[in-house]
Amino acid sequence: MAIINRLNCKIGGPAGTGVMTMGALFAKCLQRAGLEVVGTNDYPSLIKGGHNTYKIRAAPEPISAIVGKYDLLLALDRLTVELHWEELVEGGAVIYDSDHVKEPSSLIGRSDIVLIGAPLTQMASAAGGEIMFNTVALGAAMGLMHLDFAILEKLLKSIWARKGSKVVDANIAAAQAGYDFVKEKNGAFRVQIEEIKGKKPKMFINGNEACVLGAVKAGCKFVAEYPMSPSTSILHLMAGHEREYGIVVKQTEDEIAAANMIAGAGAAGVRAMTATSGGGFSLMVEALGLMGIAEIPAVIFESQRAGPSTGLPTYTEQADLLFALHASQGEFPRVVVAPGDPLECYLEAINAFNIAELVQTPVIVLLDKFLSETSLTIEDVRSIPVKIERGKLMTDEQMESATGFKRYAFSEDGISPRCIFGQKNSIHVASSYEHDETGFTSEDPKMRVAMINKRARKLSAIPDYIIAPSFAGAGEDSAEILLVCWGSTKMPMLEALKLLGQQGIAARMMHIRYASPFPARAVLSALTSAMHSHGKTVIFEGNSTAQMRSLIFQKTGYYIENAYLRYDARPFKAEEIAQAARKHLGR
Amino acid sequence: MVSIEQLNSGHLPSWCPGCGDFGILIALKGAIAKLGLEPHRTVVVSGVGCGSKIPHFIKTCGFESLHGRALPPATAIHLANHELTVIAIGGDGDGCGIGLGHFMHTMRRNLDITYIIQDNEIYGLTVGQASATTKKGTITKSTPHGTPEDAINPPLIALAAGATFVARGFSGDIPHLTSLIAQGIEHRGVAFIDVFQPCVTWRKDLPYSLYQQKIYKLEEAGHDVTDWEAAVARARETERWPIGVFYKVQKPIYTDQIPFLREKPLVKADISNVSIDKFVEEFL
Ligand SMILES: Cc1ncc(C[n+]2csc(CCOP(=O)(O)OP(=O)(O)O)c2C)c(N)n1
Ligand SMILES: [Mg+2]
Repeated sequence: MAIINRLNCKIGGPAGTGVMTMGALFAKCLQRAGLEVVGTNDYPSLIKGGHNTYKIRAAPEPISAIVGKYDLLLALDRLTVELHWEELVEGGAVIYDSDHVKEPSSLIGRSDIVLIGAPLTQMASAAGGEIMFNTVALGAAMGLMHLDFAILEKLLKSIWARKGSKVVDANIAAAQAGYDFVKEKNGAFRVQIEEIKGKKPKMFINGNEACVLGAVKAGCKFVAEYPMSPSTSILHLMAGHEREYGIVVKQTEDEIAAANMIAGAGAAGVRAMTATSGGGFSLMVEALGLMGIAEIPAVIFESQRAGPSTGLPTYTEQADLLFALHASQGEFPRVVVAPGDPLECYLEAINAFNIAELVQTPVIVLLDKFLSETSLTIEDVRSIPVKIERGKLMTDEQMESATGFKRYAFSEDGISPRCIFGQKNSIHVASSYEHDETGFTSEDPKMRVAMINKRARKLSAIPDYIIAPSFAGAGEDSAEILLVCWGSTKMPMLEALKLLGQQGIAARMMHIRYASPFPARAVLSALTSAMHSHGKTVIFEGNSTAQMRSLIFQKTGYYIENAYLRYDARPFKAEEIAQAARKHLGR
Repeated sequence: MVSIEQLNSGHLPSWCPGCGDFGILIALKGAIAKLGLEPHRTVVVSGVGCGSKIPHFIKTCGFESLHGRALPPATAIHLANHELTVIAIGGDGDGCGIGLGHFMHTMRRNLDITYIIQDNEIYGLTVGQASATTKKGTITKSTPHGTPEDAINPPLIALAAGATFVARGFSGDIPHLTSLIAQGIEHRGVAFIDVFQPCVTWRKDLPYSLYQQKIYKLEEAGHDVTDWEAAVARARETERWPIGVFYKVQKPIYTDQIPFLREKPLVKADISNVSIDKFVEEFL
């Protein structure tokens, strides 16, 4: 009996052969066939050579992480067969390039695996060029699943359109060759995809892309960035759309310039952002304080990679949480938010720009490699209403008559009406020095205290519903265990809840997004209620010191005994979360 | 129109009596008044140092940034609203030490902004260490046996980096400096002005009288400001110290290359409801 509409697939090959591009294309085909898809990658910090993989999971219901073994391995080279055959399910298949991989059975210590050799390279050169051998492979995978070739054809057309019809035709021919070859050869694959028609189109998008989309929607008009994995695709995507959306995208000489530029743009009234990883963020730290003291709104996307220092550039970690919270000397309010999936990236990017202007202070959006480069199927975000809120920004008209305007005027909520350079009556100095209400340097002790307090009050203006943690899985009353996580761990944890449910375990998840301002009351209430009802709580973090646990303890006085930490620079797996939960329950 | 008096901020400068920064302040105000710039549409962006306190002493908009970082925010303020007049200013430590990278990169971008270095060949605010422009062998607090390194030559750096307006002034010649700053602001493109600024406290060995003795004016020496090689040769002179315009040419400016800025400045873009319809389609 064939399995319908559930597929796990791994694609592997050397860096530079389009493993990731092809993987994303295949994922999109599955999505267009009406399925929900997860796509994620794993690659070393190399341009050529090195082993890249892309993993896909497709299912009819919403999913957020890869779970289980693979039905299909698409091997663009011999190494892929060698490294990954053991990850195949019983009766799984390998499609391999028979031009380059000779006698793959000698690599495989099992007899249940279906080996499908296809002369990918030959077919590609017949279609117009060897370099399209990955397109042939993609066609072959489609053929194996009996997916409608028209889906792939349409996608190839839109992707290659700007290169002209010759390129489009060659790619379609290459894909068709692979498709026909495999379709003819094999009808016995264990998975069949039956297109689900009539579904509303959804989006397939990763964390970085969703951040860009959110930033563009939020009216960000200035991007200053210095490339650093895994944030770099934000720069590329923004630059690719600069003209269409009227965004000035500046590649800077370094991250110091990037951060100081967004400070300038923010003070001049333009929504501005930068994106970087921990190393670049380290260089931005002084400017962060400048934005804090001069009360300048700006947004910094920090996609964590495994540190310290250069670390593991293309691998993931959640170890910059406390750094993001404490970076820069002195004390000033900042917002730190760690979205948990691509949809949250989109939403929190918009929130970030609104909040930055609401409280006139920098906002750090903490991502990580795993989230930056994991794509999920999400709803079409155009159906989500978005409001642009600019806080106490003064209009040009209001400033016309605002004689004696004080940029840093004291107010109950600590937030001053904000003018920008160029407006009538806007004359003031935005300064890195402590200052009075006009911005003039002041070292008066009373003024100092008043200003520290003024700035500290501002974060209270952020509504509780925005910073609240989110919950999933079993309800508070029926749960047997509370699993706590933050950032990207949400994705595998949601799948872990399902696995636990299948095993008859009612698990509840608390996902903390906002590290500053911290939703202390909500978090404490969830923790104490769990303590009273079942007494089983475990926190999962991608670092070696349980940074979120420290933060929770600091903010609530509640210490979560049990932490499950992963710091091998790889993301959590749903299975290991479920297993850790079971172990904690003694089941 | 604004008068020099109207440009007084009401705060008295905190500089030492006799400091060269006074002359630069007067010249800057004079240039702004002469050009009839509107104070609220003029932004003076500084770093951190004695000279960098200048935004507080002039009644225009100001941005007193971090030590060495005047140019990145100046760049961004200009890109955010290129209808404003942006003047970046800071010390030799600011621009040639900690901020040298920004200095060179800003020069090659040909943004329509002006950058002034208050060049006193010393770290003034931190009480007298050698700077990158301190001449080799000079005894300072941090170099009691004389600086071991050759000094940086700011106009030469600006020329090498591709600046389209390069000049040097002297804070002791206010009318001349006023004219240089006005020319720099008027220049369409990046304008760099290095200013000899005597530090009467930490560089007693570099008094006004020595500058007066050594300097000469390029405009009186038949210098061709369009000749880059001649400009480089003049900038390299050490026996006598030329002031005036070394180099001035017209080239397309940075914002000329950004088509959508021709319609209106970035800050005027309507962001209330940006349509992402087409963008979303890329992900469907
Ligand atoms: C990152 C950083 N490092 C060091 C300092 C200390 N500091 C302040 S001003 C200055 C040098 C000032 O020299 P210069 O830029 O020539 O300005 P001047 O005081 O001579 O006008 C230094 C080292 C600082 N404020 N920030
Ligand atoms: Mg100096």
